[in-house]
Amino acid sequence: MTALLTIAWLAAAVNVALLLALGSIWLRNYRRHGASHTLGLLVFASLLLVQNGLWLYFYRLHSSYIGWFVNSGADIQVGMTLLCGLETLALIFVFRITWN
Amino acid sequence: MEDVLWYVLASSRGGPTRVRILRALDERPRNANQLATELDMDYTTIRHHLDVLMDNNVVRRSGDDYAAVYLFTEQTTSNWDMVETVLETVDPEER
Repeated sequence: MTALLTIAWLAAAVNVALLLALGSIWLRNYRRHGASHTLGLLVFASLLLVQNGLWLYFYRLHSSYIGWFVNSGADIQVGMTLLCGLETLALIFVFRITWN
Repeated sequence: MEDVLWYVLASSRGGPTRVRILRALDERPRNANQLATELDMDYTTIRHHLDVLMDNNVVRRSGDDYAAVYLFTEQTTSNWDMVETVLETVDPEER
């Protein structure tokens, strides 16, 4: 079951891309006017960026994590994939109201 | 309404432009064409930002025809202090 592994790391990669786009808007706006609302979102994006960076590292480079994942049952594989995948969905909704 | 104002005016890509639109509408009601001329911006860009402001119940159109002017909603007028706080934070006016 390496398909789920691929989906999981692709989702983490998409999350990183979305967070960089969101973070760039919030950073630019925050530097422009310094609103605390924008700063809150910037901190939120930064922490999720670290989280997704970690996920990418585990899914792409950490051989013992990858070994554990491919030898796990379907419940763990689907569950772990949903952690990244559902975050992608959530970020798409935030992106839609932020990019306009 | 407060969250909506911060999001739409401060924490989204088009926020600073929408602040300029609100300032122009605060002077007097205008249609999209007049706003485009006043702010020296593309008509379609202005329409996009007005649509976002309408979707979020910040402004409304008076009538449906091409030249319809845009006015603040009841919600915006009754929360004007809050609107001013956001406007002043995002784009402090020279005094």
